[in-house]
Amino acid sequence: MAKPIIQLEEVNKEFGKGKNTVAALKDVNLEIEAGDFVAVLGPSGCGKSTLLHVMSGLEAPSSGRVLVDAVDVTLISERDMPKVRAQKIGFVFQSFLLVENLTAYENIESVLWPRNDLTKQEQENRTLAVLREVDMLERRDHFPKQLSGGEQQRVAIGRALVNDPPILFCDEPTGNLDSKTGENILKIIAQLNRERRMTVVLVTHNHDIAKFARHTLNMKDGVLRRAG
Amino acid sequence: MNFRVFFKSVKFAYRARMRVFAFILIYAILYIIVARGLTTSPGDLSYIGLAFIVATIYAILVSQFRRRDISIFKCIGWDNSNVMLLVVGEVILVSFTAFLLVFQVSVEILGLTAYFLGVTSVTGIWSLIYVDLISMFVTLFWIIVAQIPGLLLSMWRATQVPPMRALREE
Repeated sequence: MAKPIIQLEEVNKEFGKGKNTVAALKDVNLEIEAGDFVAVLGPSGCGKSTLLHVMSGLEAPSSGRVLVDAVDVTLISERDMPKVRAQKIGFVFQSFLLVENLTAYENIESVLWPRNDLTKQEQENRTLAVLREVDMLERRDHFPKQLSGGEQQRVAIGRALVNDPPILFCDEPTGNLDSKTGENILKIIAQLNRERRMTVVLVTHNHDIAKFARHTLNMKDGVLRRAG
Repeated sequence: MNFRVFFKSVKFAYRARMRVFAFILIYAILYIIVARGLTTSPGDLSYIGLAFIVATIYAILVSQFRRRDISIFKCIGWDNSNVMLLVVGEVILVSFTAFLLVFQVSVEILGLTAYFLGVTSVTGIWSLIYVDLISMFVTLFWIIVAQIPGLLLSMWRATQVPPMRALREE
């Protein structure tokens, strides 16, 4: 059995206080092996996005432990968390989250700007290689508003890849795309999992999308169950 | 300090044309008012107070307008020192561009006055805009001083933006 790259132990996440407390995650235990492709399937509001945010350190759990590539993210200060995210995690969001005033090229390269260990030339080479990989080289000087939804998502994938992280988190990556474009995006993600051996965790409410994954986890009312 | 992030943030700020150009104009007017105030009534601190108010309002607005970008950059792994440079870059760009604008306009006024009127002292309506070299650098110094509290406040505000904000606002 391969080494788990993501481990969740008795993770709970609650929002609100007192009578208004809502439990988004309930005693979640999970191990994801390095190189796996896992889909978390569940209806909207079931806590699957919260699970992704907790796994990526974007939100702290109310209790429990979250280990990402042997680093306990629950023990890491908010100040040090960006470094962990930059090194270990790539994100692809439903709403793309591209910076409007940056071109496709700059959106991808912006991940590398804070890195003093890479020269300007190395940053450019990496960005161009990723643009080629997501087939956006010819549209590199376009701003997000000049790109279609599928193209914006490819830029977002490129941005997630450019730091070469071992883990890719995808939050409804095809939610804002038509079915054909969505399928192309999923093929890119599946290809990254196969060729780069990236661990992919994808959350979705769509059963057809979950078929791209090697394993599926079902989530309902904050409780996680392995489906296959 | 990461100079690459700083220079990118300056370049990036120029793309927010409406906001940046509007504030370059406001800062240019501020330079003229403060320079004239400091020249005509040297002991009056109200002009420096005015510079402080304008600079603080602008710094707060920058951190407010940049919230989405800041939270996205935090999501992709930028730390606080880098996101602070985003705000610093824009504030420095605006204040120095406004300074250069007033400098250039004053040089042009002096040149045109000398060429057409044959005098080296600026009078009439042009004297309302013209700022002499010494006053300009004194004003620049005071505006930089007045800028510091607002800049620190906006940098602090940038560090307080949670990365989750971008996701919640979409």
